[in-house]
Amino acid sequence: MAIRPSVEGMTAEQLAALRDAWTKSQALVDDRGFGYWAGVHGLPLPISCRHSPRTQNDFLFLPWHRAYLYFFERSLQDRNKAAAVPWWDWTSDGSHTRGIPEAFDTKKIGKVRNPLREARVAISPDDVKRVRAQAPGTITPGKVPYTRRDPDIPDELPRKATIDSVLAAPTYEDFSTRVENVHNAVHGWVGGTMTLVPVAAYDPIFWAHHAAIDRVWYLWQMSPFGVDPPAAMMDTVLDPFPMTVRQTLNINNLGYDYAVEVIH
Amino acid sequence: MATMDALQPGAQPGVLIANLRYARRAEVARFQRADLVFNGVDHGGLSYEVRVFLNVPTATGATPRDPTKGYAGRFVVFGHGGCFGELGHCDVPSVRRDPTDLRPGHPLVPQTKIVTITTALERILDKRGTLETVALVPWIYNGFRRKNGCKPGVFKMSDVTLRTYG
Ligand SMILES: [Cu+2]
Repeated sequence: MAIRPSVEGMTAEQLAALRDAWTKSQALVDDRGFGYWAGVHGLPLPISCRHSPRTQNDFLFLPWHRAYLYFFERSLQDRNKAAAVPWWDWTSDGSHTRGIPEAFDTKKIGKVRNPLREARVAISPDDVKRVRAQAPGTITPGKVPYTRRDPDIPDELPRKATIDSVLAAPTYEDFSTRVENVHNAVHGWVGGTMTLVPVAAYDPIFWAHHAAIDRVWYLWQMSPFGVDPPAAMMDTVLDPFPMTVRQTLNINNLGYDYAVEVIH
Repeated sequence: MATMDALQPGAQPGVLIANLRYARRAEVARFQRADLVFNGVDHGGLSYEVRVFLNVPTATGATPRDPTKGYAGRFVVFGHGGCFGELGHCDVPSVRRDPTDLRPGHPLVPQTKIVTITTALERILDKRGTLETVALVPWIYNGFRRKNGCKPGVFKMSDVTLRTYG
């Protein structure tokens, strides 16, 4: 069972394993590598991510991203068995003081660039042109585009009280809607690449952000309010992943867990 | 309900004012919850948030988000950033009624956004008795933060409704 640590709570070994896996993944340009997985969310087409409902019983935001992290994390573990995607606690004192956690912010580790700070945006020259024209500032200039960030002030990150109120949502639909709104706000908070659906997943912080969202869902599932998604969506397949909504519900069946915490 | 067309321009280009009246009626028990439900919200362009102020028709992008001064919350739209296909790629087809069409909905089907305003509305009703206006202040997120701001054009929706639950 892989335990997903918080970003700030990672041991030196956990961080080293994560960086090792991430570096190897970024170097792979086939469908095992980081560029491929980041591209599943947005560009290159099709843009497969699921957010707010498109039709009835279509609240796929949480299960789709749970499946997405599951397959990406497995691909990291193929590079380094000890790797686990950490979750970014945006509510922590540390985040409200420094903003982006240090592990994802440091430019270099010794003489090597930090793979968690940025990544190449592996999309076609046509798509690069369109991203730059339609959403300036979401990727770097230059021949090879990279991700960029332009964060807001740290204290604008979500607060614990906000997450507590989200955790008191009485229905699945309500919970999904509220947690998605907090999620969207963090995308805007990070700025740059993270503000745009088609490229957001290329920023390594995307994954720590989504692990945090996944954890909030897990906490809600374990709480007295937690209920399953509506029956009508349980057997929906989370395209392009060979997994249904039902198969995402128990994270232990997916081989991971979050560090134990008392739920009030 | 107020449709997009029925909104009035606010104190700054981009700001919209909905005349949504709500008064406490003695015969109706207190609501447990009040939501502003925004239907048909466009998410095809840049990301943006919409800040909601109750009875602050002068609200602009510079108005502090102060709950004691009418700020009721916000919703955030994660934007698609325009079209990345050929002509027609991002045209949303009208609702399909063919039960054998199992394809998922178009990615750009407009969204429904909810801002829960229970406490903010209670506060207004306790103070003045009546909700008269809802100011909607759109705040656009760019790749470059210095270019963020309250601007017209990005926030589009079909209508907004105040819904209370007993
Ligand atoms: Cu996201």
